Amino acid sequence: MNTFANTTNLTMKTEDQAWRDLQSHAAAQLRTGFADRTLRAALGPKDVTWGLLRAQASRQLPLGFAERVLRLARAAAEVPSLTSQFALSAATAVVCLAAVVLVQDRRAQLSDERNLADWERIVLVAQDAQDFDSI
Amino acid sequence: MESSATTALADLVRRAQKGDENAQRDIIVAYQHRVAGFVYAMTNRSDYVEDLSQQIFIKMVRAIDRLQAPAQFESWLFRLARNTCIDQLRRQKLRRIFLPFGEEHENIAEPPGAVGTEELDALRHALEQLRPQDRALLALVQEGRSHAEIAETLDTTVAAVKARLHRAREHLREHYQPDHEN
Repeated sequence: MNTFANTTNLTMKTEDQAWRDLQSHAAAQLRTGFADRTLRAALGPKDVTWGLLRAQASRQLPLGFAERVLRLARAAAEVPSLTSQFALSAATAVVCLAAVVLVQDRRAQLSDERNLADWERIVLVAQDAQDFDSI
Repeated sequence: MESSATTALADLVRRAQKGDENAQRDIIVAYQHRVAGFVYAMTNRSDYVEDLSQQIFIKMVRAIDRLQAPAQFESWLFRLARNTCIDQLRRQKLRRIFLPFGEEHENIAEPPGAVGTEELDALRHALEQLRPQDRALLALVQEGRSHAEIAETLDTTVAAVKARLHRAREHLREHYQPDHEN
């Protein structure tokens, strides 16, 4: 009986030892900070980390940032918008075109008048010549 | 307490809408740190923070008179911030396509350890792995925006926001390892 118990104990000890060896081998595979990493992966970044991000970003803003923004916004407001610049260009083009048409029309009219006067003069000369021939 | 703060903000916004420069200045001072944090979370570039924050506030000053509900100011401001950051990231992407050999320094995030603690680096690394839309979502939640407000900002439903937020958090957690082991 005693022998059986001793044998069983011995076997169990060996089995326990084997489990412990397995555990320690498995545990050795985990790198330092495993718990922290696991928690990070499970919970994600904490609010304080987001706060660090915001603080880091805030440090990029220079002193007087608000003043500079307002100054630039005012300057931007004074620059004519693209639409108004386009409208001004279009109006200038229309005025120039109208001026060209008017000048061209006036020149054509003057030329017509001059040609008509020339023709009238030629007709008069021709009539005079005809009258002279008939006499 | 909160309602009095909301009323005070709405009053400040109304004054700013009427062109009161002191009110506009107060708003910028009150929100500059939060907007800077949002820009940093979105772009992961500290050298973009000042320029983009400036653009956002200039747009705010020029457009604030068109804001219909002063009580919705915060929501509106962060929508402006989100759109400005997304535009910047799109431009940057296009620039990389059209100028592949120029401006090699574009979109190079600070190396780990360059800007702060291990935790902060881990967060920046994790954010960098996400899509800009997901970064915006997480940053908006950090800014205390409700699901309904985010849904309005992104022009989608509350259910869609919840689903996207869940996925974005999963991804963030997945990549959130301080020494970039994953």
